[in-house]
Amino acid sequence: MLSFYEVFYRFLEGPHVAEMDYDLDFDEKLRETVNKYGIKYDPENPIPNNNQMADDVFAAGIEFYEKIGTYCVDTLRVARFTKMEIIEALAEAPKEPVFGKDKDAKKLIARPPESDQPPWFFIGAAGAAVTDERVLSAIVEGYGLVPYGNSITTPSITKINGRPIVAKTPLEILGAIRTVEVSKAALRKVGRAGMPIMNAISTATSDAAKIAGSQFGLNPADGLMVGSMSELKLDFQRLNEVAYALHFGSNIVAESGPLLGGYCGGPEGVAVANVAYHLQAILVQRGSTHFTFPIHFKFSSNTTRNTLWATSISNQAISRNSKFPLLTSGILASGPGTEMCFYENAARTITTCVSGGGILAVGLAKNVQTDHLTPWDPKFSVEIALASLGMKRDNANEIVKDLLSKYESKIPEAPVGKRFQDLFEMETLEPRTEYRELYYKMKDEMKTYGLKFAT
Amino acid sequence: MSEEKIIEDLKEAIIGLNEGKAVEATKNLIAQGIDPLVCVEKGLSSGMAIIGDKFNQGECFLPELIRAGNAFNAALKVLEPEIMKRGEKQSQAGVVVLGTVIGDVHKIGKEILAMLLKTRGFVVHNLGEDVSMSTFVSKAEEYDADIIGMSALLTTTMPAQKEVIDFLKEKGIRDSFLVMVGGGPVNQKWSDEIGADGYAETAEEAVQLALRLIDT
Repeated sequence: MLSFYEVFYRFLEGPHVAEMDYDLDFDEKLRETVNKYGIKYDPENPIPNNNQMADDVFAAGIEFYEKIGTYCVDTLRVARFTKMEIIEALAEAPKEPVFGKDKDAKKLIARPPESDQPPWFFIGAAGAAVTDERVLSAIVEGYGLVPYGNSITTPSITKINGRPIVAKTPLEILGAIRTVEVSKAALRKVGRAGMPIMNAISTATSDAAKIAGSQFGLNPADGLMVGSMSELKLDFQRLNEVAYALHFGSNIVAESGPLLGGYCGGPEGVAVANVAYHLQAILVQRGSTHFTFPIHFKFSSNTTRNTLWATSISNQAISRNSKFPLLTSGILASGPGTEMCFYENAARTITTCVSGGGILAVGLAKNVQTDHLTPWDPKFSVEIALASLGMKRDNANEIVKDLLSKYESKIPEAPVGKRFQDLFEMETLEPRTEYRELYYKMKDEMKTYGLKFAT
Repeated sequence: MSEEKIIEDLKEAIIGLNEGKAVEATKNLIAQGIDPLVCVEKGLSSGMAIIGDKFNQGECFLPELIRAGNAFNAALKVLEPEIMKRGEKQSQAGVVVLGTVIGDVHKIGKEILAMLLKTRGFVVHNLGEDVSMSTFVSKAEEYDADIIGMSALLTTTMPAQKEVIDFLKEKGIRDSFLVMVGGGPVNQKWSDEIGADGYAETAEEAVQLALRLIDT
């Protein structure tokens, strides 16, 4: 595989392209590729059962990425790769990275569609905001207690010393450091000292803050999350993070979020672009794993019918054709403590689980409401996933269609739900009666779909 | 060819995202001596409005908005000398300076809003991403803007929206501009707290908000 610095030189020496030209070229080449391979969205089947189409999506993704490459917004140049370089990178990509330390260390392994093996459970609402360190600590403790959880993502604190954290200032550096320190202490408190934090520094927006934060308790077996810009773009800041992580010997979680309705166009384009992101995650972001969250431009969530389809077919495409591990995040439109939240969570979890790869559970209330997250929403996702192991795509498709009928029309006006503090006792981390009763009521309803729970 | 047919061709060129045809139809209209403002209103703007509606209904996406916008601009470039010659003034919904605040490089949502505003007749000056407080204010003054629109996708960059409003107040020009805020973590409560004139959750709602603010 090309080395990181060989890739980097292409950002310095590759063809110069105006950003808008790259964006429109992205659209044009994506459409051409989607049409060439005859990829077609089927709203009647949010979880398609079509291996040939899945393989076509993967082949289309390789061809598209070969044509378009990755854009550097700092040099206005494109790094392109030959098909041979892409295939070589796929072959040599990490296959079984180990995340976590001591008894919490575990291999993250790719997982095909309809697998009866449990997915990797990445617990948390990536990047969701919490008020302060007190809420952060309680939430992270709760995450550490989720059964079968393999890793966590920390929320972002918004205030420090009672004052808002401002990007690109010393407060951001301090916020990033405190997020790591508080989260590591919280995990130690609940006996998960070695549980990897795959996104410990979501408070940080700058490379400086992310690197500073990582010096205060992260180790290479955690993961430094390096995000792509949309679509298929990077800047020096993100490439600096890659360089740092590589020399630190750290796992990298290569993040991307293709936008349905943006330059990817519709669900077919999102599916093919998601494969291209998988390739970028290996070659450019130098990931130990690819973490993706296809998302709807208007509803800022990914439980709509078309985003479920795009997720399912691209996860099938990737997990049938690549051993480089994939994690997929759910972002729900509704918030905690609402029935809709459980329906969306179940639909998203089943879709991801049967389509291959691991699961990040779960963003709530579009991930934008402060303190709207709980440890029991990921717990619900874990329980649903374990009850879906080995499920056939056709069966999952019928369940998800029924779940969609319960929430789909409510997405534009989704209820934001309640805050963690309103649903849980902060001291004991026990759910309040109202939430506990709702949880078990919704779990009982899920049994009517034939899902069998261990407890 | 009738005036109606050529105007229809112009509208269709916009809807068909065809820059070449839009320019050709515009030249035909000028050759026939048709009022350029009629061309703008009944051809270009009405084609853009249809594209905007299609986008809102999920029938087309951002690239179509951009291509329609490019066709619109190319045709307008041909019309502008005619408009100037006649000493007429093109009607517009308002002037907006729009950007993502400093420290934040999120782009696509703001691009969608910029294009949707154009489909509703606004003149939009897109300042890009990572835009400093002073740039927002100086550009708003330079373009004699009606509205300053600020996007922030991160909790740590939201305070920059407040900084811009505070700066406007300190300069004594807060009342010269309407201020709209948006972006993932932004909500009505935040908008009220920092003294913005309005908040919208989606690009479509932001266009309606801009129209309402201009009307009041």
